[in-house]
Amino acid sequence: MSQGRRHRLPSRRMLFLGCVAIAVIGVCSFAVSRAVSRTATPAVTTANVKPAARPPRPALTPAEEAYMRAMWPIHGDVERSLMRASLGQILYKTDDLSRAELKARMEQALTTYRGAETRIRALEPPASVRNDHEQYLVAVRLFQESAVEAIKMFKDGRDDHLLAAYPKSQEGSDKIREVGGKFWPSEFPPN
Amino acid sequence: MARTLLRIAMMSVFLFVVGGLGPADVLQAKSNNERPPQVLPSGFESTDSLLRDVERAEKAPLYSAWIVESSRFLNVPFGGFQPDKAGLNTTVDLPVNVGIIEEPDGKLTLYDSGWKQLAYIFDWNTSCCWADLRHQMQMIGLNPEDVTRIVIGHGHWDHAGQLDSFPNAVLYVQKEELKQIDFFLDYPIEFNGGHIRAVNTVDPISGGQVGPPAQACARSPVCGYPPQTVAEIEGKILAGKAKIIDGRFEVAPGLVIHPAFRGHTYGSQLLQVHTPRGELVFGSDTYSSWEGIRDWNVANIQQTDTIQQFLAYEKCYVLTSNSFSFNNCLAAHERLSYSTDYPITQNWWTITNGNCSRAAELILANGEKTHVPANVTTGSTTISLPGLPAKTGLWRIDSVVCKNTISTVPPHVIPPNG
Repeated sequence: MSQGRRHRLPSRRMLFLGCVAIAVIGVCSFAVSRAVSRTATPAVTTANVKPAARPPRPALTPAEEAYMRAMWPIHGDVERSLMRASLGQILYKTDDLSRAELKARMEQALTTYRGAETRIRALEPPASVRNDHEQYLVAVRLFQESAVEAIKMFKDGRDDHLLAAYPKSQEGSDKIREVGGKFWPSEFPPN
Repeated sequence: MARTLLRIAMMSVFLFVVGGLGPADVLQAKSNNERPPQVLPSGFESTDSLLRDVERAEKAPLYSAWIVESSRFLNVPFGGFQPDKAGLNTTVDLPVNVGIIEEPDGKLTLYDSGWKQLAYIFDWNTSCCWADLRHQMQMIGLNPEDVTRIVIGHGHWDHAGQLDSFPNAVLYVQKEELKQIDFFLDYPIEFNGGHIRAVNTVDPISGGQVGPPAQACARSPVCGYPPQTVAEIEGKILAGKAKIIDGRFEVAPGLVIHPAFRGHTYGSQLLQVHTPRGELVFGSDTYSSWEGIRDWNVANIQQTDTIQQFLAYEKCYVLTSNSFSFNNCLAAHERLSYSTDYPITQNWWTITNGNCSRAAELILANGEKTHVPANVTTGSTTISLPGLPAKTGLWRIDSVVCKNTISTVPPHVIPPNG
C-alpha cells in the first residue's frame, strides 16, 4: 500500500512538472513568434517596378543660370528678413520680444527690402524669366509697403498697424514662394 | 532535493519568460522624478501622467476620424526616409496625410493642414495627387466650414499649408516651434560652412548642399519653413485665431495635445483623440512612419533627436496601451497608408475628382454614417481632370486610372488593394 503510494506520488509530480514544461514551451513559442512578427520586415506591397526617371528639369541657358545664381543671395536676404519680421511680430504678440526689439527688426527688414529692390533692378533677366523677375519685384515692393505700415505702430502706438500690414506681406510671401519654386525647386525638399 | 531544485529552476524559467513579454524594449519614465536628461520640462510627460490622460478620456465624448492625402511624394529613396531601410536600396512613394476629427456636435478639428500647392511641383514631377483640402473635405462629405480648430504637428510647409483656407479655425502651435526658427535665422556660418543655416542652404542650380558633405537642406535647423508658411501662422496670430502653447494642452475632453519636442522638429506635438477603438494618436512627422513606430526604427530625421523620437513613440504605446497599441498611431508619411498593411487605414477610397488623392475612414462615433462610397469595392466612378477627358474606373484602382490620367503626374504604382 505504502509502496504503491510512493509510486503514485512521483507520477503526480512528474505530471505537474510535465505541465509546467509544456506551459514554458508554449509561452516560449508565443514569445518567439511575437518577437519575430514584430521585427520582421513587412510584406512590401508597393510593386518594385518604378516609373522611368522623372523628366529632368529643362536645361537652363547660361543666361538663365547666371541670372538665377545672381538672384539667389538676394532671395536669401529677403527671406531671412521676412521671417525675422514675421516671427518678430509673433513673438511680440506672445510677449517674448520687446517693442524696441520689434522696431529694430522691422526697420532692418525695410532696409533689406529696399536694398534688394536696387540689387534686383541691376540684374538683366533673360526674356524667359522676365515675367518672374517682375513678379519678384512686385513682391519686394509689397514687403516694403507692409514694413512701412507696420512701423507706423511705433509712431502712434497702435498695434493694429500690424494687422493692416499683414495682407501685403502675405501676398508677397506667396509670390516669392511661387517664383522661388520655379528658380530653385530644391530649396524646400520633402520633409 | 534534486526535484525541488528542478522545480525552482523551471519556475524561474517560466517567470523569466513571462516577464520578458513585457515592454522591456520601451524606455520608461514612470514618474515625474524620472525625466530623461535633455528633455525640456514642458516637453516631458511621465508614463503615469499619460495613463491618467487615458483614464480621463474614458469619460470624454467619442470622436470620429478620417485621414485624407494632401499630396504624395514620389520616388523617395527609402534609406533617406528610414536609415534602417537603406539596405533595401529602393524608392517609395510617401503620402502626406492630414487628420480630420469630428466631435459629437459635428464640429471638426484638423490635425495638420496639408500643403499649399505650387505649379512647379507638378511641372517637375516630384509629387502627384495634390488636392485642395477644402475640396477634398467636400468630396468626402465633410463641410470645411465646420472646421473650428487646426492642430499642426509641426510647422513644415507640407503640413502647415492652407491655414488661410480656414479663416475661422483656431490654430494650435507650440511656442517651442516658433522660437527655434527665430533662433537659427541668424545663426553664424563661419565655422559650419553653411550647414547650420536658415536659408540659402542649397546650391541654387544643382540643388546640392552648400559645402561638403552632400546633404539636403532638410537637416538644417530652419529648412522646411518657407516665409509663406510662417506668414500664414503669423496671420492666425495677428487675427487672434491662434493658441501658442507650451507643452501638454487639453483642447477639449478627449482631445489632448502632447508635446514631442525634437521628435521631428523642436516644437513637434501629438494629438490624442478618444474614439470607439480607444485612443488614437496623430503624430504628423514625429510619427512619419508607422512601420518605424512598430519596429522601433527612426524615420524622417530632420531637426530630430532620435531619442526624443523614440520617447514620442513610447507616448503612443502608453496612450494606446489598453486598446490596439501601435496600430492606433497615425503616421503622416507611412508608405503603407491606404492599404490593409496599415490596418487602421484599410477602409480607403480614391476621392472623387480629387486628383487621385485618397481618403480613409478610421473610425465612426455618435451614429455617424459612413463616408465611404457604397460602391467602393465593386462600383465605378468618373475622375475628371482639367483639360482631359473624363475617365471611369473602380474606386480603388488608381493604379489603373490615376497613373495615366494627367500627363503631369508620372506613372506610379499604388498597392493593389482594391
